[in-house]
Amino acid sequence: MHIPDGFIDGKTAVVTAALSCAGVGIALQRVRGQLPPRRVPMLGLSAAFLFAAQMVNFPVAAGTSGHLIGGALVTALLGPAAAIVVVTAVLIVQSFLFADGGVVALGANVFNMAILGAGGSALVMSAVKRVLPEKRGLVTAVAFGAWCSVVFAAIGCAGQLAWSGTASWKAAFPAMTITHIVIGLGEGLITALVFLFVQRTRPDVIENRTVSERQGDFIFVSLLVTFGIVLFVAPFACPWPDGLEAVAERLGFEQKAADPIPAPMPDYAVPGVHWAVGTTALAGAIGSVVVFALAWLLGRVLVPRVEVSGNPK
Amino acid sequence: MNQLFGHHHAHAHSPVHRVPAGLKLAVALTIIVGTVVAPSNAYGWFIIAAMVLVSAVAVSRLPLLFLLKRLLLLSPFVLGAVLANAWQPSGRFQWQTLVLKSAICLVTVIITANTTPFGKVVRVLQRIRVPGLLVTTIALMHRYLFVLAEESERMRRARLSRTFRKEGRFQWRTLSTVVGQLFVRASERAERIYAAMCSRGWR
Amino acid sequence: MNAIEVSNLRYRYHDGTEALRGISFHVAAGECVAVLGPNGSGKSTLLLHLNGILPERIETPSPIQILGEPLVSANLQKVRRQVGLLFQDPDDQLFCPTVEEDVAFGPQQLGFSEAEIRARVQKALAEVRMEGFEHRATHHLSHGEKRRVCLAGVLACEPAILVMDEPTSDLDPRGRRDFKALLRQIPATKLIATHDLELAVELCSRAIVLDRGEIVADGPTRELLNNEELMLAHGLERPHILRHIHPH
Repeated sequence: MHIPDGFIDGKTAVVTAALSCAGVGIALQRVRGQLPPRRVPMLGLSAAFLFAAQMVNFPVAAGTSGHLIGGALVTALLGPAAAIVVVTAVLIVQSFLFADGGVVALGANVFNMAILGAGGSALVMSAVKRVLPEKRGLVTAVAFGAWCSVVFAAIGCAGQLAWSGTASWKAAFPAMTITHIVIGLGEGLITALVFLFVQRTRPDVIENRTVSERQGDFIFVSLLVTFGIVLFVAPFACPWPDGLEAVAERLGFEQKAADPIPAPMPDYAVPGVHWAVGTTALAGAIGSVVVFALAWLLGRVLVPRVEVSGNPK
Repeated sequence: MNQLFGHHHAHAHSPVHRVPAGLKLAVALTIIVGTVVAPSNAYGWFIIAAMVLVSAVAVSRLPLLFLLKRLLLLSPFVLGAVLANAWQPSGRFQWQTLVLKSAICLVTVIITANTTPFGKVVRVLQRIRVPGLLVTTIALMHRYLFVLAEESERMRRARLSRTFRKEGRFQWRTLSTVVGQLFVRASERAERIYAAMCSRGWR
Repeated sequence: MNAIEVSNLRYRYHDGTEALRGISFHVAAGECVAVLGPNGSGKSTLLLHLNGILPERIETPSPIQILGEPLVSANLQKVRRQVGLLFQDPDDQLFCPTVEEDVAFGPQQLGFSEAEIRARVQKALAEVRMEGFEHRATHHLSHGEKRRVCLAGVLACEPAILVMDEPTSDLDPRGRRDFKALLRQIPATKLIATHDLELAVELCSRAIVLDRGEIVADGPTRELLNNEELMLAHGLERPHILRHIHPH
C-alpha cells in the first residue's frame, strides 16, 4: 500500500503533506504530554519492532503469504498518539532507506497508514469497547479495529490516486477496497492473537488507558479522520455524472440485483466497471458486518469462559 | 542481514559519497519534486534528470546489478497500476509517463540512500528542525532495526529446528507468538536502553 | 573515605520476587572488587542500584552512600556522573548511530562545551584503543569493538567509580585478553560482576559472593576461589589457573 513517487500529483502531495504534518505534530505533542520519560525509547523500539514484524510471513490460502502491517497493533498496545508517531517513523525510514513508498508521496502514505489506519482503528476500537466492555469485547475490538485500519488506509489510497488522476475512482476504489477487505482479515486475526499474547505475558508493557479515557485524543483523531474522508472520498461521491440521487438509486438497484451472499466476492470489477463503485460500497458495508461477527466469534474462541468470569488479569 | 538490504554501500568511498549529506538530500528532493510535478511532455526535464542520475551512478561506483535488482524488487506497485489501467475505460491515461516518473524517483532514492550513511540523514533532519521526539524515534528505530530483525531471524530458526511436521492451522498461533515475543523483547530492550541513557546523565 | 557503602539494601521486583535481601558491604577508593554468584543471584540488580536506576522511587534515608554522600533523588545526577555503569549487552548501551555520537552522549548530557566534548571523546577512544572509529556506524562493529566503545562512552564522563556487568561475556579469548588489559590500566575504583573467574583472580584483589540476594562470602579473591566447598555450594567452581598456581 506504499504509494511510490509519480503516482501522486503536486496538489495531492501538498494537501496530504500538510494534513499529515498537522496530525503528526499534534500526535507528538500528545505523546510528549502522556508518555513518561521511561517510555521514550519504547517509541523507537516499537518502530524497529514493527519493521521486524513486517518481515514475518504468515500463510494465506493457496501457498501465498502475507505479512502484518501493524498500525492497529501498535495502537492497541501503545495508544493512538504513540502509534501515529511510530508508524510515521517506520514510513520515513522505509521510504528513504528501502525506497518503499515515495518521498513526495510520504505525506499521502503517512496520512493513509498512520492517521487513517492507526488513528481510525483507535476510533473503531474504542467504539467497540463501549458496546462490548468485557475482555472478549477487547479481542473483538482489536481484531475489528485492525481490519478497519487496513480498509480505511486502502480507501484513502484509492481516493488520493483518483484525485491525482493516476487511476479513475471507478477502477481504484473497487480494486483497492476489495483486495484489502480480504487482506484485512489476516491483519485482524494476527493483531488479535499478538495482542492477546502480549496481554497474557507482559500486561505491564501495554499502555492501559483506553482511547475513551483520553477525550483529547478521541477528538483529535476523529477530526483528522473525518477531514480525510471529506477530502479524499467525498469529491467522488458528489460530482457524480448523475448526481447523488442516481447513486442512491443505483445502490438500491444493486441491492436487488446483487447476490445476497457477498462472501466470495465475484470479480465483477473487471467487466462491469460502472457498477463497481456502488457494489464495492455495498460489499464494504456487508463485509464490515460479517467481519464484525467474525471478530466477535474470535473473542469467544480466544478468551475462555473461565477467564471472563474470573479475575480479569 | 546488512547484505540483505545492501547498506554496506552507504559506507563506501566515492565523490558522490563525499558530497555533504544536506546538499545531496536537497538535490535528490529537487529531482524528485521536479519529476513529480513535471507535465508528461516535459522531455527536457526527464532527460536532464536521467543524465544526472546516470552520471551519479557512474561516479558512485554502485554495482549496476544491485541497482537493477532493487528496481525490480520495488516495481510490483508500478506493474499493478499499469495492469489496472489497461482496462480503464477512460483510456487516455499515459502509463508510460507513470513508469518513467516513478523509475526516475526510485533511482534517485536508491542512489542517495546507498551513498549516505543514515546517521548523517538524521543530523540533517535535526538541522531542518524536525521535532526532536520524531528524530529520536527514527534514530533509535534505525539503530535497532538490524538487532531486532536478527532476533526475529534467530527465533524463526529455533522454531524451524523444532518443527517436525507440515505446519497446519497452529501456524498462525505460533507465528503470532513469535511476533508477540518480539514485541515483549523490544519493550524490555527499551527499558534497558532507558537505563543506559540515564546512567550517562540523560534527563 | 569509602567509594561505595551499602548497608542493608533490599529490593523486591513487581512480581514479588525478592532480588536483594539485606545486602551490606563497602568498597574503598581505588579497590577492584569482583561480584560473583550464580545466575539470578541479584548481581545485576545490585549494580543498577549503585547508579540510582533501581529502585524506581528512591527512598530516604538511602541504604547507599557514594563517595561519602547518600544516594538520594536530589543528588542523582551527581552520583550518575561519579559512577559509570557498563551494561551487559553492548547493544543496549550503544544507542547512537555512530561511535563518535555515542561516546559524546555522556559529556553532552553533562553540559560541556563543544571543544571539551571533542577532547573527551578523543581521549576516551584513545584509552580503549579505538582511535579512527569515530565515524563508524555502531551496528557495524564487532562484539569486542562494541564493548570497547561502550567503555569509552562511560570513560568520557570521567567517573571515579566503574561498575561493570559481565564485561567479558561473549568475547573471544583474544577480545577477553585485550579487554582485561584495558581494565587493568583504568585507575578508577572498580566493581565487576562476572562469571569469568580468571578475570576475577587476575584483576580483583577482593571478591564478594552473592547467592539468592544475600552476600554469602566477602574476602580475598584467591582465598574464596580456592575454597572448593564454598564455590560448589553457590554454583561456582575453582578456576583452573588457581589449580596450576597452588597445586594441592
